[in-house]
This record gives sequence, structure tokens and C-alpha cells, in this order.
Amino acid sequence: MNLSELIHEFILALIEPGILVGSIGTVSFINTANSAFSLGLVFTCISLLYFALNADFIAAAQLLVYVGAINVLIVFAVMITDQSVSSDSEKRGIGYFTALGACSILFLTIVCIFHKINDFYSSSIHQSEYLKLNLFEQNDVQNIGYQLLNKFLVPFELASLLLLVALVGAINPARDEDEGKDIAENQKKSFVSSTSPRDKSSFF
Amino acid sequence: MNDINSFLSRLNSTINFSTILPEIILIVGLITIVITDLVNKGKNAIFLYKIFLVSTLVSMGILFYQLISVIAFEDLYTNNIFNNLFRFFILICSFISVLLSVDYVLCSKISLAEFPLFKISAGLGGMILSCATDLITIYVSLEFLALSSCFLSGYTKRDIRSNEASMKFLLMSGASSSSLLYGFSLLYGFSDGQVQLDNIIDKILFSQYLPTICISAAFILAGTAFKLSLFPFHQWTPDVYEGSPTPVVAFFSVTSKVAALSLFTRLFRLIFPYLSNEWHIVVELLAISSMILGNLIAVTQRSFKRMLAYSSISQIGYVMIGILAADLENGYASMLTYTFIYIFMNLGTFARITLFSLRTGTDNIRDYAGLYMKDPVLTFSLVLCLLSLGGIPPLSGFFGKLYLFWHGWKAGLYISVTVALVTSVISIYYYLKIIKLMLTKTTNPVDTLKTYEKQKSLVSSVISTKLKSSVEMAMILCALASTLSGLFMDPIIKITRNTFF
Repeated sequence: MNLSELIHEFILALIEPGILVGSIGTVSFINTANSAFSLGLVFTCISLLYFALNADFIAAAQLLVYVGAINVLIVFAVMITDQSVSSDSEKRGIGYFTALGACSILFLTIVCIFHKINDFYSSSIHQSEYLKLNLFEQNDVQNIGYQLLNKFLVPFELASLLLLVALVGAINPARDEDEGKDIAENQKKSFVSSTSPRDKSSFF
Repeated sequence: MNDINSFLSRLNSTINFSTILPEIILIVGLITIVITDLVNKGKNAIFLYKIFLVSTLVSMGILFYQLISVIAFEDLYTNNIFNNLFRFFILICSFISVLLSVDYVLCSKISLAEFPLFKISAGLGGMILSCATDLITIYVSLEFLALSSCFLSGYTKRDIRSNEASMKFLLMSGASSSSLLYGFSLLYGFSDGQVQLDNIIDKILFSQYLPTICISAAFILAGTAFKLSLFPFHQWTPDVYEGSPTPVVAFFSVTSKVAALSLFTRLFRLIFPYLSNEWHIVVELLAISSMILGNLIAVTQRSFKRMLAYSSISQIGYVMIGILAADLENGYASMLTYTFIYIFMNLGTFARITLFSLRTGTDNIRDYAGLYMKDPVLTFSLVLCLLSLGGIPPLSGFFGKLYLFWHGWKAGLYISVTVALVTSVISIYYYLKIIKLMLTKTTNPVDTLKTYEKQKSLVSSVISTKLKSSVEMAMILCALASTLSGLFMDPIIKITRNTFF
């Protein structure tokens, strides 16, 4: 192992315990605010992992979306709700063991898959092919921007409209309805006064 | 400035905007509605509805003009006849459902301005879904349609049932679109990173990856069957239909079903042609169970909207037979014809229910008793639409069903067609039960008559009961289309014939 690989291993060895500690903290802290913050630690460490794996766009997206929006929302929601006294349920029912069994089977499956993929790709033929692809020289962000405006123009613009409609729809149930009532009253009065003989419809 | 100029010139050379001109007009209408509402500060909201109707009509006109041409737009759209017909159907749905929703929204004292916004956005999502040939566009437009429908169903926020309906719809549609996305991700992975449907079929080695392709097909089926409310995925339909405001139910009982039909057909026809035996059997099973379940449970319903929800589940079961019976010489003609007729029948029935519930405020079937005495026009047009839904001869529902079942029999789906015939008879029973209730004199005339009169005096200060109201316009349109389309069946069939791809 030369120096660059050594530095890479060292950085990974720093980030991975952070993820592990953060996720254990998320599920086992009694105070929910502490577990929300350790969730933030997990997301930040995952983003650093993406940086270490040379995926800069995904790392930035992870920081902006997960840490900046989703985690902030979770912390906000946790802070607003009351802290209920946690019941100390020490007895472990059948659900606990079923979940334990299912998660360990899943874990072993993923570990086996990763070993198989590692054996497959570390043979020398594939390594030379990958080096020829020269993946490290491309500029991901520029590529994504180019594709968004050329090939995926329609979904991109549609997503911006979706954001507009989502904003309007989120505010619509939440806003104060008194203004709406007054306006409806005004409209009703104007209708009654303007269409006096009740023969003409309000629409045409 | 130089960069902008070069970008614009490159844009004009590579993208052909005339293919998405109908959608662009709808988007312009949407922005106009938002800006007009902002400028007017909430007054004169009827003007917004007029903007909506004008933009829909202009879109329809341009779509007519383009109906025959086949142009590809950067591989995201292909405007063959199948897709254009579905866009046209969705525009018709939006147009008629807005006609019948104006008075309702006016009466229920909720804010008027966002309603056409959500309707336009749902129609836009449906239109783009009908002609998307690209996994990403399909997903974004499906989410657009689902989100706008969810906001529409929760529009009357003071009503608890409306809140419950929109909550259920949001959660279930989120779960189903996540399963759809999982199926898409499997397809994306196996086709070596291709997103367009044509390229996916080219690159997937079906023989090598067959079990996983089957898993992907199962997930995609689960995702799309939710929108279509086929049998195991239909549980959201009665509650959402009963809780949402009636014009909204009218809108998404036709629009989201039509858009989901086009998505279903396109995905299964293009991507899984090698698996056609497997998914044919599964879809046949789903269709049979939807027909049986929908019709049997609809017999026992006491609320009109819930009964129509179950009957729409069974109607989609019939349409599935049309999808399975597609062959080379006729294309999807039977499915398209029946969908066209179903739109008018369903919207017509909902128009009359809207008018009735505006006048009496009730949704119970029992309260329709003796309606013949009070309002013969409403009764007669409701009778026409219900008989057309049931499939009685001179009306167009009969011709649609006849064509559908004949094609199904020819394609060898003997069990499905037999079950469909039996359940059609059951459906005639519950439609006729309502008609009999309306046409005969009621046993206790006091209560319902009193409610009818009282509400009428309250409400008629705002809407008119004369012929020019927009709901009545929609009613007449749908009644005419339900009856006369049967006579003009042949040209419709000829148009829908050339749609196999």
C-alpha cells in the first residue's frame, strides 16, 4: 500500500466509527432531542464518506437535503412536542427477537453480496478496464447540469412547477380562513345585487 | 449575452416545441391564474375559472390539429395516436369537471382561487404522463398528478371526512409510488443505465435475468394498480371518494384512472412483451376480482358517492379486459372506446349528484326518493346516465360493453367475459334500484320535501336553477354524449383502431 491508499484508509477509519456511534445513539438515547442530533451526526458522516469516495455532487446534495432540511425538520418537530416519560419496558417480547433475526439475516446477506462483488471486480482484467475509463477526471456537476437542461428538460421544469403547487397546497390548509370568509361574503352580496331577477346565471 | 444567444439557438434547433404546445398553454393558464388572483386580491374569482376553461379549450384545439402527426420530442415524448387520444381524454375530463365544480365551490364558502390551480396542475400531470416514454418523466408527472389530487381532496378543510380522505390518499399513494420506483430501479440497473423505455428493452438480456425482471414487473404492477384501484389495492377508493368534495371526486374518478390506464398499457406493452403470458394471467385475476368485489359491495351501499366508488372499481375491471384483448388488427380500440364513454357517463352522474347535494345537502340514496315529483329534468338525466353505466341497449354504455366483451371473447378470455357479463347484470340491479326509488312516490313525503324546499331557498340566492348554470351545461353535455355516442360508435372505433405499438 502506498501513501495515498494509506491516507484513504485512515480517513475511512475516522468516518465509519462516527456513523456507527451516531446510529447507536439515535436508537438508544432516552431524550429524543439527543437522538435527533445524533441522527444529524450520521448524515454528516455519510456525506463525508461520499466526499472520500470522490462523489462530490452527491456529498453536497446529502448535506443540503438530509442535514440541512430533513434533520432540521426532525429536530424542530422533536423540540415542539412534549417530552413524554419513557416507560422502562425491559421485557423483550416476540417482536424483538423477530426483528433481531430479520435484521441479522439481512446483514449477512449484504455482507455476502459485497464479498462476491469484491472478488468479481478485483480480478486484474476488470481493474485495467476501469482505469481506462478514467472516471476520476470527469466533472460530475457540469455533466449533471448539461443533462438536466438538454435531455431531461421536461422533468426538470415539471419538478419546478411541482414545487410551486406543493407550496400552494401546503399553505392552503394551514392559513387563516377569516379573510376567505369576508371575501366570500362580499362576493355573495355582489352577486345578489347584480343578478337581481335570479334569471341570469352567475357563470355565463 | 453571447452565451444566452448561442444557448437559445441551440435550443431551437434541437427541441421542437410544437409537440408540447398544449401543455405549454396549460402552464401559461396556470401562471395567469396565480398572477390574476394575486392582483385581484381575491375578488372576482369566477374570472379565474373562465381563464381555466379558455386555456383548456385552446389546448384541445391545438391537440386536434396535431392529432395525426407522429413527432418525437428529444426521446421524452412520442406523439403517436395512442398518446394523443389519452391527452385529449384528460383535457375533456378537466373541462367538464371544472364546469360542474364552480357552483359547489362558490356555495361552500371556501377560498376559490386555489381550486382551478390544483385542477390545472392535475390535468397537466395527467397529460404529460400520457405521453412520457422515459422513466424519470413518468415518475415526476405521476407524482405531480398524485400530489395535486391529494390537495384537491383535502380542499374543504373544515370537513373532517375531507381531512381523513386526503390523509389516506397521501399515505397510500406515497407507499405505492415507492414500490413503483423500486421496480423502475431494477429495470434501470439491468439495462446498464438506460432511462428511456425503448433503450431499456434493447439492452436488457431477458433470458439471463428473468427472475429479477419478474420481481420488477410485480412491483410496477403493484404501483400502477393502486392508481387504477384494482382488487387488492382498492381499499383507499371508497373512503377517499366519500370524504372528498363531490366535484373533486368526479375529477379524479376519471382523470387519474385515465392517466393510470395509459401508463399501465404503455409500461406493460413496451417493457414486458416476453413475459406476456405471466402478466396476462395476473391481470386477468385482478380484473375478475375487481369486477366481482366492486359490484357485490356496491349493492349494499347507502351513500351515493361510495356506491359510485365501488362501481368505478368494477368499471376498471371491465377496461382491463380491453387491455388484455389487444391484438394486431384492432389495437386498443375496445379499451379506448369504453374509456371515452366511461368518462361521459361517470361525469354525468357526478354532475347530477353535485346538483342534488347542493340543493339538499345530503348524500344518502334514500333521500333521492320521489325526486321525479320535484325535479323531472334532474331525474330524467340521472336515469339516462345510470342506465348507460349499467349497459342498457339504446345508450352508449351498452355499445361500449358489447364491443369490449366481443373483443375479449375473440381473444380467448372466456372466464373474464363470463364473469363480466354476470357482474354487469348485478350492476344493473343496483342502478335500477336507485331509479325505482326516484321514480316512485316516497312513503314519508314530509321530511325530504321539507329539506329540499329549505335548502333550495337558502341556496338559490347564489346559484340559479335555470338552464344557463354551468352545472346544467355539464349535465346536458354528458347526457347527450352518453346517449348519442352509441349511435356514432363507428367513427369512434375507426379512430381508435390504429393504436397498437
